[in-house]
Amino acid sequence: MSAAAQVTDSTFKQEVLESDVPVLVDFWAPWCGPCRMVAPVVDEIADQYTGQVKVVKVNTDENPSVASQYGIRSIPTLMIFKGGQRVDMVVGAVPKTTLASTLEKHL
Amino acid sequence: MNTQDKTTQATDKSLEAMRHFSEQYAKRTDTYFCVDLGVTAVVIEGLAKHKDELGAPLCPCRHYEDKQAEAAAAYWNCPCVPMRERKECHCMLFLTPDNDFAGDKQEIAFEEIRATTNQY
Repeated sequence: MSAAAQVTDSTFKQEVLESDVPVLVDFWAPWCGPCRMVAPVVDEIADQYTGQVKVVKVNTDENPSVASQYGIRSIPTLMIFKGGQRVDMVVGAVPKTTLASTLEKHL
Repeated sequence: MNTQDKTTQATDKSLEAMRHFSEQYAKRTDTYFCVDLGVTAVVIEGLAKHKDELGAPLCPCRHYEDKQAEAAAAYWNCPCVPMRERKECHCMLFLTPDNDFAGDKQEIAFEEIRATTNQY
């Protein structure tokens, strides 16, 4: 279905913070229209940067702890983590070029 | 992690109420639905779902610490304050004509909404 794996409150530390490669995290919610719009873009990024970047998704309704910890308000919010730290973020249904250029800065 | 079914749909009654509201509000404010009506459908289902659960159509495109408290505060109840003051809808339900994603429609049928949201 999707190139990006779902991450939860309990697996976030292992999958994102302790990752050896940069991680793109898509914070989304089920009935958020723009989230549905950006999802295929995120999947394309996952395919395009296979091996260079890990791409995961967090359902904020089901994983409120991690969403609150990182101050998620407007969704979709896309965050980039590197070495356990948040290094960048973009908010809203951005075009693929915007997401790719943001990501490239951290590779 | 809660086990609540994330893709449960709203009641028909709330969905119809929010569908009707969305059409009327778009026409009243000279705004348009997204060129991708799938986005419109998902947001209307989300608003209706919150109306069922919280008694108010809280914006489905935000994360809240406490949904009940936010619904009571009303700031993010649709139409939210940023929409009423500046026509800003980050959910992309109501788009001004100059927005790249704005389509030419201010109407969406009940069946059209469910044709999209039945997929999730």
